[in-house]
Amino acid sequence: MTKREFLKALKKKLSHLPRQEANERLTFYGEMIDDRIEDGLSENDTVAQIGSADEIAAQILSEEGAKAKPKSQRNGVMIALLVLGAPIWFSLLVAAFSVVISLYVTLWALVAVVWATFAALCASAVGCVVVGLVIAVSGRVAAGIALFGAALLCAGLAIFLFYGCKAATRGVLALTKKLTQKLFKGGKAA
Amino acid sequence: MDAQLKRGLLDVCVLAAIKDEESYGYKIIKDVRPYIEMSESTLYTILKRLELANMLTVRTSEHDGRLRKYYRITKAGLGRIEDFKDEWREITSIYGFVMKGGSKQ
Repeated sequence: MTKREFLKALKKKLSHLPRQEANERLTFYGEMIDDRIEDGLSENDTVAQIGSADEIAAQILSEEGAKAKPKSQRNGVMIALLVLGAPIWFSLLVAAFSVVISLYVTLWALVAVVWATFAALCASAVGCVVVGLVIAVSGRVAAGIALFGAALLCAGLAIFLFYGCKAATRGVLALTKKLTQKLFKGGKAA
Repeated sequence: MDAQLKRGLLDVCVLAAIKDEESYGYKIIKDVRPYIEMSESTLYTILKRLELANMLTVRTSEHDGRLRKYYRITKAGLGRIEDFKDEWREITSIYGFVMKGGSKQ
């Protein structure tokens, strides 16, 4: 390869560099070649000694590439993708979030139902006692006693349900704690 | 030679090559070659770096009908060589430690 061919090939490989820098390097190599020729080497041998234009371009690229350029390019692409895809991933995120929230609310609703049942049983028990008393006093003792019985039944069920209420509430609270811990721990670790 | 180690030494080598009188690209490579191998690309980077650090100056002069760049050392460059001489004492003692270390076992 002649000097001119080599320099032309190198120039093409360095076309991505800023013009001044590319020219500086070309001058440098041109000078190197001339010096070697002056020393007595043939033009072809000299160019061979210096290495192919590809090799040199690769060396330069590996030096330049270590600097800021690729990283900023990569970040730019990532940001562009995020913005463009926003309608998709954002809506999916909102949907997923809504599902989670509704499930959570449902759990609490169930707990509320258990408590409500408990309250209803309590009220029934009290109600039965009161009405039973009234009826017994007014003369229908048997009916009154029956109502007392009903009251006892309600009370019994209420007591039974009370433990259920406590357990259900504690269960949902524990679940909530575990989930929030996982969320925040995961956030911290990331 | 280990690439990292070489990189640190080449800078000083280039400075040493221009220590006593100014020199030019190919001559620097020739002077350094018996001691350490250096390619044109490497030399280019080193010269650029030393120029930025004000350890050498560049001037262009005509030679045989073409232009040639001459590099001359500065005071800062000479200072770097002095630092290297000081570092060398440390390096020899570390070398002694490494060579000794094996026999202790």
